[in-house]
Amino acid sequence: MFAAVVSATLLGVEGHLVTVEVHVSNGLPGFSIVGLPDEVCREARDRVRAAIVSSGLSFPRTRVTVNLAPSSQRKIGGGLDLAIAIAVLVADEQIPADRVGEFGFVGELGLGGSLRAVAGTVPLVAALGDVRPVVPAASVREAQVIARQPVHAGYTLRDVVDALTGDSPWPTPPADTVDPDPTPVADLADVRGQALARRGLEVAAAGGHHVLFVGPPGSGKTMLAQRMPGLLPALAAEVSLAATMIHSAAGVRLPASGLVSLPPYRAPHHTTSIVALVGGGTSALRPGEISLAHGGVLFLDELGEFSPSALDGLRQPLEEGVVRVSRARASATLPASFLLVAATNPCPCGGGPPGSCTCDDGGRARYLRRLSGPLLDRFDLRITVHRPEVDELLLDGPGECSADVAARVAAARTLALERSGMLNAALPASVLDDVAPLDGRAKKLLRTELERDRLTGRGYHRVRRVARTLADLYGSGPIVGEEHVVAALQFRVRLNPMTRGRAA
Amino acid sequence: MSAAADVPEEAFAAALAGLERMSLTRLRALLRHASSPSAAVRCIAGEHAPPAEIAAILATDGLASAWRRSLARRPPEQVWGECLAAGIDVVVLGRAGYPPLLADDPSPPPVLFVRGGLQRLGGRRAGIVGTRNATGVGRDIASALGRDLAEAGVSVVSGLARGIDGCAHRGAVSVQGGGPPIGVVATGLDTVYPAEHRMLWDTVAERGALLSESPPGTGPEAWRFPLRNRVLAALSEVVVVVESRITGGSLITAAEARERDIPVLVVPGSPRNLSAAGSNELARDGCAIATGVEDVLIALGLNTGRARPVADDPRPRPEGIDRDTLALCAEPRTLDQVMLATRRTLVECAMSLTRLQDSGWLRQVNGWYERAPAHDWRR
Repeated sequence: MFAAVVSATLLGVEGHLVTVEVHVSNGLPGFSIVGLPDEVCREARDRVRAAIVSSGLSFPRTRVTVNLAPSSQRKIGGGLDLAIAIAVLVADEQIPADRVGEFGFVGELGLGGSLRAVAGTVPLVAALGDVRPVVPAASVREAQVIARQPVHAGYTLRDVVDALTGDSPWPTPPADTVDPDPTPVADLADVRGQALARRGLEVAAAGGHHVLFVGPPGSGKTMLAQRMPGLLPALAAEVSLAATMIHSAAGVRLPASGLVSLPPYRAPHHTTSIVALVGGGTSALRPGEISLAHGGVLFLDELGEFSPSALDGLRQPLEEGVVRVSRARASATLPASFLLVAATNPCPCGGGPPGSCTCDDGGRARYLRRLSGPLLDRFDLRITVHRPEVDELLLDGPGECSADVAARVAAARTLALERSGMLNAALPASVLDDVAPLDGRAKKLLRTELERDRLTGRGYHRVRRVARTLADLYGSGPIVGEEHVVAALQFRVRLNPMTRGRAA
Repeated sequence: MSAAADVPEEAFAAALAGLERMSLTRLRALLRHASSPSAAVRCIAGEHAPPAEIAAILATDGLASAWRRSLARRPPEQVWGECLAAGIDVVVLGRAGYPPLLADDPSPPPVLFVRGGLQRLGGRRAGIVGTRNATGVGRDIASALGRDLAEAGVSVVSGLARGIDGCAHRGAVSVQGGGPPIGVVATGLDTVYPAEHRMLWDTVAERGALLSESPPGTGPEAWRFPLRNRVLAALSEVVVVVESRITGGSLITAAEARERDIPVLVVPGSPRNLSAAGSNELARDGCAIATGVEDVLIALGLNTGRARPVADDPRPRPEGIDRDTLALCAEPRTLDQVMLATRRTLVECAMSLTRLQDSGWLRQVNGWYERAPAHDWRR
């Protein structure tokens, strides 16, 4: 007997439709799976056999061949278990063949016949197309985010079989469990002092400028970075969907609503490998941290301690907003458009006020050299963060709260998008004169900075973009004034005091 | 081992100085008790019965064989060749050409390697020393002191290290025809350390003298630096400590100077400046304070009788908010601190700081604003 049912497998963040064909024929009892299954998928044999038997159904005592089509596509993971089991039962005539055509099956089986959720439910269900998805009860919420047809859920294989044969109705999915709100978004009002760094965050959020915080340990770099997502607007519909796909594919827990609607915040440790950061690895081409940060914030603390290759891997995604991962058997394009926030000490000892550093010049130069080059170039904002003094902690009242700042940020972003269709950080140098014209005094100031070698050509354009954002935030119309340029220059700290390097 | 006829006694002394496990005491004893450096070498080689004192040293565990190996690896002719190639003179304690200034010292260097002219040690000499991790202000003071002393015809003696030492000599060589600079270093004279000071080394050697106790090829070895400081102190008539950490090597120089009754002057620093903690400690111990070149000249007994005319500060006087900001920046400040103290907005403070930077009153390093000296002002 022959049967075919529809399921899907995952590659990168995309689902691909898979037809599970089963042929049951006379011969020595046996069970084989062909069609490029990976190790986990091959092990479906044992799970499916046990699940069918445990569910009180019978496993055919003849030769069973499973083919996963298209056969050239690698099949990943346990998500095909349910489809294989159903197809076997159809081929063995325990389920009528005409009952399964309108369904697609996604889910992993336990030996006792239970149904387990798999990573990537959202993209997998998306790949099923116009059939009705049947998923493990635990995945219903995720599946409903994307499904075009009503979603059916089962707690066990038996539930699904009974519903298909018409013996009992589809079980009702579990009631919406309200997630305890994962982590309350940190508020900017908690940060005392640090006026410059706070303003830097605001500018970064409004203009999409990548930020590098430079400061001694304990100066609050991490605290500041954690407040960045709270300043960004909620994700637009298509970004939200893409982020949901990515989080689902990576097996990261989705919020209660099922959709990733707030900007994600990812802070991988500096020992993170290039594969974990950028994505790839197994043949599933799992999305990396930079994709998980899509639409949100990627925070790299101790930037200099990341392996140079991992940091190099960031350059292309920073440029293009996507990362293309290729392996011998497969390749995938993963979305990776994020705001990069990084932090570093100014030198190995952490530094502080002039005269407190105990590093020698060589050590300091070596430390900074790890950061130098093209990556450092991507940071429009390089902000020094100081350890606040007692006075600052005590005298300074609570700062503005995130909501007020976020409102300004949202308005500035709207302004920028309406003007040029992109955030200010992305403005090409050629249009700066049109969209960010300088007034006379601002021009003069920048000319002085250039003449005194405190600014390079590239730095000049960056300062102009940042000044544009400042003008958008503190509404002064189309012309960028001196005050904006002065403030923008404050966000370009020089990194090496000894060599009197230029602010690149 | 046979001595080639054209190799002078100094070559043997140089070779002895470069032996493995050689120390100051051992070298001094070898040269004192052997009839000549070449005789000392022959004693080590076993070609000559050593006097009792040298025999006692050679009896030290494994020393004799280590020295023989060393000598075989780098015979006197080779060391001499290296000295000639690098333009290095060798003078030996008790022999002709040794500077009388050091011969009278309680701990004279037995062998000295020299680039430049030893006769240039004859002028008035002031040592300037300090930390390698100096603040911008400390660097300015060191280079201004070096320059002013050179202008007054005084030789600046320093260690050519990073930070204060280098700045002092840079200031000194910026004056054409000033007092000849004297550098005392711990590495071999052909091994520039730190490497970025190569030009400075050459200038010092050319215009003054560059001295070391280490034979050519000696790299930076930690134990040699305190010994270098003793020679530096011995060569100075007065030692000025500009900025020193509490653990700084400059404190060793100061201690060596005080042992020799050489006056030590201290440039006082802010109590918040960690780079000046050691020098401030010296001031507490009773060292005299130096706030300008006049104090050093007076300590040298060079009472010029006339104060240097105070040059008109060419910088425009700051006004209004800028005056407040500048007063605040008497100590290094961050923008955040200026905002908090003046209760003004970020843009106001940033503009004030930028104006003061442009007019040369302030400069910014790593987000800290500090006062700039008048002479740094350009345009």
